[in-house]
Amino acid sequence: MNKELKHNFVELLETHQNIIHKVCRLYTNNYDAHNDLFQEITIQLWKAYPKFRGDAKFSTWMYRVGLNTAITLYRKSKRTIDTQDFEGVAFKISAEAYDDTEEQQLKILYKAVHQLNDIEKALVFLYLEDKNYSEISETMGISEVNARVKMNRIKTKLKTILNP
Amino acid sequence: MDELDILKKDWHKEKPEHKKLSTQDIYPMLHKKSSSIVKTLFYISIAELVFWIIISIIPYFTSNSYKKQLDSVYTNDYVFGALTAFSYAIILLFIYLLFKSHKAISVTDNAKKLMESIIKTRKVIKYYVIYNLAMAFISMVLGTYFAIVHNPELSNTIAHFSDKQKLIAFAIVTGFTAVFVFVIWLFYKLLYGLLLKRLNRNYKELKKLEV
Repeated sequence: MNKELKHNFVELLETHQNIIHKVCRLYTNNYDAHNDLFQEITIQLWKAYPKFRGDAKFSTWMYRVGLNTAITLYRKSKRTIDTQDFEGVAFKISAEAYDDTEEQQLKILYKAVHQLNDIEKALVFLYLEDKNYSEISETMGISEVNARVKMNRIKTKLKTILNP
Repeated sequence: MDELDILKKDWHKEKPEHKKLSTQDIYPMLHKKSSSIVKTLFYISIAELVFWIIISIIPYFTSNSYKKQLDSVYTNDYVFGALTAFSYAIILLFIYLLFKSHKAISVTDNAKKLMESIIKTRKVIKYYVIYNLAMAFISMVLGTYFAIVHNPELSNTIAHFSDKQKLIAFAIVTGFTAVFVFVIWLFYKLLYGLLLKRLNRNYKELKKLEV
């Protein structure tokens, strides 16, 4: 039974692993930290899995556990380096300037998103995952109206970071 | 076009720098130890319980004379007996409350609820610490008082003190105890402050959205 449970879980996780990678992409900025957070989210998912009921989609359930781990439960391990300091990033952005190439633009955008705080990142994550405001409000525990207002503020904040 | 919409186009692509894990890569991950703050908090609360229980029983086992003295007090004095029973009841109550609040922490709750359950658990530990510090303070002051009253030599010395000297002696004992309690309190502040700094910040951010 336990073996079967484990087998099912690992199969599901392998299929949906990109969700965790995407959470890690927002909340970490180096290889070790990425793997560390990935590991912690996997443990939390596995611990919660026996209580997972089929009535929720596995991926939706993963969003919750993944974000909760990244925002609240995860303690950065000693070997991972803390997030880049704000000024360093800002300097790099202005030095690189806006380039027409798409790759360059994406790089700058990711850097800008990294400067948001944990809660803002969570909203950006759900937005990028095409979640509607009702789902965002449920995942975060805030009202739908507040989720909408916050999202607009985040967009403005990103614009300010990109065009200081 | 919106910045986030530009990002959205790239978002779902798998990134080459993070290779796709196979099931063989995932299996060992399930057996690794978690480093979540809930786990740390759990260990701290256990350590807390054990620490204060040990502190209260150490003198009983290390000093024979103290043991004798205590035994005679317990058999003769109902107040002390009742106090001890009360303190054990409090410990049991805290064990129950801790267990309950730890149980209530669920990673599948929404972000705000999860943070609230963790903060609640931290509060239970906090009250336990406050209770113990208060008890430590009271028993140190009372202990000194009883030592003076029950020890003829000491009370004799004190009797020769002038009022000013008595006051100074009292101030020294109280001051020393207060510093002791304050240092322990500071230690806790630092411990929880460091552990829950990020959680508190994020919780504040979420609460801010409500006003």
